[in-house]
Amino acid sequence: MSNGIFDKTTNALATSLAMRQLRHNVTASNIANAETPGYHAKKMDFEGALQRALDLDGANSLSTSDSQHFGIGGVSVSKTRPDIYEDPEGAVNNDGNTVDVEKEMSALSENAVLYKAALQLINKKMAALKYAANDGR
Amino acid sequence: MADFLTGMRVSSSGMAAQRMRMNTIASNIANINTTQTPEGGPYRRKDVVFESMPDAKNFGEIITSTDPKGNFQRVQVTDIISDRKAPLLKYEPDHPDANADGYVAYPNINLMEEMTNMIQATRSYEANVTALQASKDMALSALEIGR
Repeated sequence: MSNGIFDKTTNALATSLAMRQLRHNVTASNIANAETPGYHAKKMDFEGALQRALDLDGANSLSTSDSQHFGIGGVSVSKTRPDIYEDPEGAVNNDGNTVDVEKEMSALSENAVLYKAALQLINKKMAALKYAANDGR
Repeated sequence: MADFLTGMRVSSSGMAAQRMRMNTIASNIANINTTQTPEGGPYRRKDVVFESMPDAKNFGEIITSTDPKGNFQRVQVTDIISDRKAPLLKYEPDHPDANADGYVAYPNINLMEEMTNMIQATRSYEANVTALQASKDMALSALEIGR
C-alpha cells in the first residue's frame, strides 16, 4: 500500500490497529478463562517488532543509492508478526491458573485507548488528504 | 479469522459459563434444606467444571485462522458434578425422613461458601461484559475511519 498517497506512517498505524485488535482478543481470552483450572495467561508483544520494521532512525537497514539495489535489514511494516506466549510473570494459583484479572482489565482498557488513539491519527491523515483533494475547501 | 468477532465470541462464552455457574449456585441455595430427591437421599451440592477450548474448532476455521496455535481460548462448562461431601445429620426424630436413630440427612451446603462463589461469578461475568463492550466500541469506531 506504500505509494504516493499513503505513507509509511499510515501503514504503521494500520498494522498497529491490527495488532491491538489481536491483543484485545488475547486479553478477552485471558479474562474469559480467569477461573478455568490449568489455564495459562497469554501475553502478546508487537511494539518492538513494529518499531524495528518502521526503522525511523534507519539503523536497521542499509542505505541504498540506487533504486535497483537490494534493501537489507528492515522488514516491511505490514509483515510485522506478533509474539504470543505464556505470561512468565503470572503467579500460579492453586488450580494452576495464572490469570491476574486486575492486570488483564487494565491491559484491556489501555489497549482500547491506544487503539482509539491510532484510529484518531488515521482519521486526521484522511482529513488532511480530503482537504487537499477538495482544493483546500 | 482473528477479528473482533473472535474476541466477542470468547467473551460471550465466558458470560455463558458464569451464568451456568450462577444457576448452579442458585440451585444449591434453593435446595439447602431439601431432604428428598428423585435419586433418593438429600440434595447434593452441585459444582460446574470449566474447560478452555480453542476458538477455532473445525478444519475450515483452523486453516483460515490467523491463530493456528490456539491463542484465543473459549471457556466451556463441560460437566456439572455432585459434591461428594457426606450429608449433615441432624437429630430430628419427629421429621418424616428421620432414620431409625432419629437423624435426618440434610445437604452439606455452606451458605457462606455459596455466597462467596456467587459474588465471584458476578464479578467474572461483569469482567466479560466489560471486555465485550470494549470489543464493540473498538469495532464501531473502526467503522468511522475516513468519515
